[in-house]
Amino acid sequence: MVLSGWEALFFWIFGFAALIAGLLTVLARNAVHSALFLISSLVSVAALFILLGAEFIAGVQILVYVGGVMVLFLFVIMLVNVSAEERGREAIFNSTSQVLATLVFSALLAFGITYELNQGAQNLQKRDEAKLKEVAVQRAEQQAASQVGATGTTHLTKDTERIGASLYRYASLPFEIASVLLLVAIIGSVMLARTLKQEAAVDDVDPELLKSKGEL
Amino acid sequence: MSNILTPVCALLLQEATGDRLSLMKQGLTHPDLSKFLVIGALLFIIGVAGVLTRRNIIVIFMSIELILNAANLNFIAFSRYLQDTGNAGAVAGQVFTVFIIVVAAAEAAIGLGIVIALYRNKETIWVDEIDLLKW
Repeated sequence: MVLSGWEALFFWIFGFAALIAGLLTVLARNAVHSALFLISSLVSVAALFILLGAEFIAGVQILVYVGGVMVLFLFVIMLVNVSAEERGREAIFNSTSQVLATLVFSALLAFGITYELNQGAQNLQKRDEAKLKEVAVQRAEQQAASQVGATGTTHLTKDTERIGASLYRYASLPFEIASVLLLVAIIGSVMLARTLKQEAAVDDVDPELLKSKGEL
Repeated sequence: MSNILTPVCALLLQEATGDRLSLMKQGLTHPDLSKFLVIGALLFIIGVAGVLTRRNIIVIFMSIELILNAANLNFIAFSRYLQDTGNAGAVAGQVFTVFIIVVAAAEAAIGLGIVIALYRNKETIWVDEIDLLKW
């Protein structure tokens, strides 16, 4: 797998955008800013998915993460963060020693992994120009062979079709289990987020009665 | 495109005669699997650092999303790598990513429900003030 030309340029742009936005997510003081930086990081990673030829996953990433999960995050920030904002400029990080230890180990991990991956890639493939050209020609042929879109300027990808076939043929049981998991998550979050008053109402007890007994 | 990038790289690496330097130049103009893995690893490390250092529990949840995304990036990169080597089961990486996204959505819903319940009882979202189980 080798990217070249414009793909290489866009890889570097979106790769660095994802990293910088991720870093700013961790560093931002305001939680809303963190959420917005996380959204840009997720969108950059979706762009990397498109570069890797996973168009369906990129779409799912934007629809589910940016459209669903991040809106949920923003709602919770709205519900919870009001009084935290009022407390003014408080420390956003843990104690200094904890941050220092984390930084040291993160740096060690980052340098170690990057060094090893580069080393491994160097030993794995000393690519020659001929092979690069061969791969590029192969991909261009594949693109040309794929179906042309309605406007005639684009090609349709078979990615979604392949994922759907694979999902229903080999992973139908996990698919069903995932739907049950989502159902459990919905019920669980509703149970967790309700107030004492709502709990009392579900138990078919008059809240006024509980209040008079001093249990509420 | 390559006729812009190549002179720029040649300018940057004047003595691109060495084996290592030409490999570096090639890595810059032709990023491969290892570059995606490096990006994924760095995203993961940023996420772990966020979980370990931040006090705001919502930002900790966001860092967890960052970690899951780094894993997704690795899955998709290896899926593409296996596709290019002609492996028939390469799409399994993308199917797995779908499941990771499902689990992440469920985890976010439950986690944020817990945050709301916690805030209702303890009136705080700073994790170092939530020390009910501390000795």
